[in-house]
Amino acid sequence: MSAPTINLTLKVWRQGRTDKKGRFETYPANNISTDMSFLEMLDVVNEELTKKGIEPIAFDHDCREGICGMCGAVINGRAHGKERETTLCQLHMRHFKDGETIVIEPWRARAFKLVKDLVVDRSALDQIIQAGGYISVNAGGPQDANSIPVPREKADLAFNAAACIGCGACVAACPNSSAMLFIGAKVSHLALLPQGRPEAARRVRAMVRKMDELGFGNCSNEAECEVECPKGISIREIARLNRELMKAELKSA
Amino acid sequence: MNTLANIFTTSIGKKLMMAVTGLGFCIFLLIHLLGNLTLYVGRQTFESYVEHLHALGPLITVAELGLLFFLIIHVSTGAVLFVQNLRARPVRYAVNKWAGGRTIGSATAPYTGFLILVFIIFHLLNFHFVEHPGGLVFNTVSATFSSALYVCLYMAAMVVVAIHVRHGFWSLFQTLGANHPKYMPIIQGAGIVFALLVGFGFGLIPLYIGWGI
Amino acid sequence: MKLDAKIPGGPLTEKWDRHRFELKLVNPANKKKFDIIVVGTGLAGASAAATMAELGYNVKNFCIQDTPRRAHSISAQGGINAAKNYANDGDSIWRLFYDTIKGGDFRSREGNVYRLAQLSTQIIDHCVAQGVPFARDYGGLLDTRSFGGAQVSRTFYAKGQTGQQLLLGAYSALMRQVGKGKVEMFPRREMVDLVVVDGKARGIVVRNLITGELESYAAHAVVLATGGYGNAYFLSTNAMSCNVNAAYRAYKKGALFANPCFTQIHPTCIPVHGTYQSKLTLMSESLRNDGRVWVPKQPGDKRRPNEIPESERDYYLERKYPSFGNLVPRDVASRNAKEQCDKGKGVGETGLAVYLDFADAIRRDGRDVIEAKYGNLFEMYEKITGEHPYETPMKIYPAVHYTMGGLWVDYNLMSTIEGLFVLGEANFSDHGANRLGASALMQGLADGYFILPYTIGGYLAGTPFPEVKPDHDAFLEGIANARQQVDRLLAVKGSRTVDEIHRELGLILWDYCGMSRDMEGLKTALDKIRELRTQFWQDVNVPGDSHDLNQSLERAGRVADFLEFGELMVIDALNREESCGCHFNVAYQTEDHEALRDDENYCHVNAWEYVGVDQSPTLHKEPLVFENVELTQRSYK
Repeated sequence: MSAPTINLTLKVWRQGRTDKKGRFETYPANNISTDMSFLEMLDVVNEELTKKGIEPIAFDHDCREGICGMCGAVINGRAHGKERETTLCQLHMRHFKDGETIVIEPWRARAFKLVKDLVVDRSALDQIIQAGGYISVNAGGPQDANSIPVPREKADLAFNAAACIGCGACVAACPNSSAMLFIGAKVSHLALLPQGRPEAARRVRAMVRKMDELGFGNCSNEAECEVECPKGISIREIARLNRELMKAELKSA
Repeated sequence: MNTLANIFTTSIGKKLMMAVTGLGFCIFLLIHLLGNLTLYVGRQTFESYVEHLHALGPLITVAELGLLFFLIIHVSTGAVLFVQNLRARPVRYAVNKWAGGRTIGSATAPYTGFLILVFIIFHLLNFHFVEHPGGLVFNTVSATFSSALYVCLYMAAMVVVAIHVRHGFWSLFQTLGANHPKYMPIIQGAGIVFALLVGFGFGLIPLYIGWGI
Repeated sequence: MKLDAKIPGGPLTEKWDRHRFELKLVNPANKKKFDIIVVGTGLAGASAAATMAELGYNVKNFCIQDTPRRAHSISAQGGINAAKNYANDGDSIWRLFYDTIKGGDFRSREGNVYRLAQLSTQIIDHCVAQGVPFARDYGGLLDTRSFGGAQVSRTFYAKGQTGQQLLLGAYSALMRQVGKGKVEMFPRREMVDLVVVDGKARGIVVRNLITGELESYAAHAVVLATGGYGNAYFLSTNAMSCNVNAAYRAYKKGALFANPCFTQIHPTCIPVHGTYQSKLTLMSESLRNDGRVWVPKQPGDKRRPNEIPESERDYYLERKYPSFGNLVPRDVASRNAKEQCDKGKGVGETGLAVYLDFADAIRRDGRDVIEAKYGNLFEMYEKITGEHPYETPMKIYPAVHYTMGGLWVDYNLMSTIEGLFVLGEANFSDHGANRLGASALMQGLADGYFILPYTIGGYLAGTPFPEVKPDHDAFLEGIANARQQVDRLLAVKGSRTVDEIHRELGLILWDYCGMSRDMEGLKTALDKIRELRTQFWQDVNVPGDSHDLNQSLERAGRVADFLEFGELMVIDALNREESCGCHFNVAYQTEDHEALRDDENYCHVNAWEYVGVDQSPTLHKEPLVFENVELTQRSYK
């Protein structure tokens, strides 16, 4: 019953916090159970590195059930690996072949500064949300939750957009390092709900300006983001974002 | 004016400019193609089309200036986007794989765009800014395509245009916000059909004229 | 120390209103003069930080991850309870209150729980206004479902991602305030000490996880919303970075720790598959509605499940509990699975799993029906294990997933240290000895949106504050202590990795202080933990240095605290000579193997006071008074 094991060669990007230039290092990963997740495989490699006196590979991770959005790396040229709708923590080693060489690189984008090894700084995504990715309502006195009906279809569409986990895979996968899917998802989520309509115009303008300011690239409709998104968010959200921006600008005073 | 400035300074605004001018070029391509199809019918039909076209007089000039304006916008915005996008990823990946969203058209759009620009200049020098022998455009056409080199160049250029259009066509709808699960597949299909039409429609002319196939 | 819970007088239903009236208010113009530190950005932390900023306070908010949106509240699946009675099925505030008290096996406070039930309805209103996309019916109104054995449909949900959507709501409110400059955000910081000046919490010392620098922040009050300590067991459904540090450091500074032995163990999780597993994944309990639980009759039977004939299978839950069968309560199901595995009948690679078989259900209802009900869960299972539950039985095993114990707080959510407030899973207040499904989200948000913002004003308005700055001696001392600990960890240079030791601690706690406990085992655990702690400090290997992002060092610091805290859990379990809720001492059970309470001697909260490492903590008791409900034997027959 015991799961088969495989041997792998890892080529991992290593870069210290103060290093200007990083490099690939090659490590063996032997006797890897195919039941392990990719991150558990890295845990095993790190334990071995530690015992050999080599500093373990730094990588971000937290919930390990595919929802917190903290993990992520480019595996053999694919964000979160080649499985569809999967985060790195939910990518299992049974999808790799014995003897395979795996190249592991951090998210690459000007807006995501590299911190160390595979760890990058994604605070730019927070800044985009700060610019307007919310509904301005204080805790305290809203009306009853059922006083504004929301058609189920709209609620479902809003949910699909709201499922974004903010992992940054869209930016990493985009040939232009654009964050359009990320902001498209948030703009759509809030624009679809009646609660979000009052400040829809202000929101989309502010968020797009902030995105541009932070050094993300421009969308060129390559659709790589939608393929790599672990939550399967569609580029239709980007089309809706475009509509919302046109509407907002054309109606603005 | 302020509104326009507001839109066009954003990344989405730049995309909108690409989309709107791209739409203009698609319409132009369609008209140009329809006109050129007369070549397949024969010399007289073609010359009569040329005559009618020239009879439009100042309207032609207006259209030409419009196209030039669109061209300047499309090319300069495209160049800005290209440079910005390049700068958005200062360190490239060691391993690059397409996830499945990209097409040859989308991945090469800036490069095919550049080639098309070169081609347009070349094409205008060949056909627009020349004295037509005997005052007939057809003579220029047949003279040009009597050279195998020109035939090949023009056919290659049409492949490039088709690839560019294949991405540009659906892309402009997406950018203008028209993406619906029901209709997008139709738009995608129409894009491919349009690209093939442009590619073959224009591309076979040199063969037809030059070698009389 | 006399523990005063400060429950307001008067009838239960009017206590909160009355209290709000009696609380002193901070003049709106003065609010901006107060600095408040909030540690944690989960449902409780983010909602508290955002709401206090909305009121006008200056908030500094700290989190351990790279952004506040990653806090572990995000993983909650099922839903959030609220006594809205939209389903018109007889729900009420009183019923939610009663269910929560009874579910907690009568080890929580009436006053707190009633307030929680009252506020539950406001939470839904507020979250909808924030744009949380709850499930809706075709008419456009909110949908609810019944959950965790509740007899009414009071659980609001957003597919299986309710926690995520609620957290993103709180996060967006927080981001709004960050944008306005009212909240200053400090991500990738780990709290290493609480700073107490003249008996009042006045700041914290944190380690910047990127640079390794120790930083001091002063404030007028400190709010901890740092979650639970389930990761003491190494394997749990908690996220990897969940830890007890902040709460434990506060405990060391004088805050009492209440009921540390109350940990909830969920019966249907994907089992451990190998030694290097890092985390357990929860599967919805609803699976037990159609799945049949069984193990082979013969211990050590390693045949494939499909090769084991019907006659050689033991459907132990159906055999032992003929009336409830596979639907026995969580704790009973969990304990029985463990019992079977202890007998060597466990299945799978590790022998730590039981089958949950859908073959009969598929034969009876057809695959389509089962797929419609559980399709997404089966998919998730398949993704992780590579096995198809349609073809081969699922393997499940219980896992730690929530801790009811936490820092002791009064009705104002203030700990025994003045000015130190504790919210959410980090406090002990509302769930007694067992939490009901879909109540954790409710409590975190009630604390953050609607309780703390009022009660903290009452504290700030009535308290004189001498000026304290980060160069105060107390901060310097905190920094020195923290630096000493870091240096000490790095200096050991032993041979064992942090994870190895953590895994061993987890096993000790799981075996002796897990689903069922006995006095002998608990005593053994005490010795083993102490021994392991000594080993840790002699033989741990922490690579790298302290001036950098050093994830091994982070983990080492957390395990160092777990090694002390684990002992406290065991001490508390040893002290509570009864069974109640999730604390099941085998010596105290009914004939049906239900927890047998001892209300005469143990109807109180155990609150522990730190005395010193390797010294027994001092026990304080807060008696629990029940004026509105009758204490009954919890029975689900």
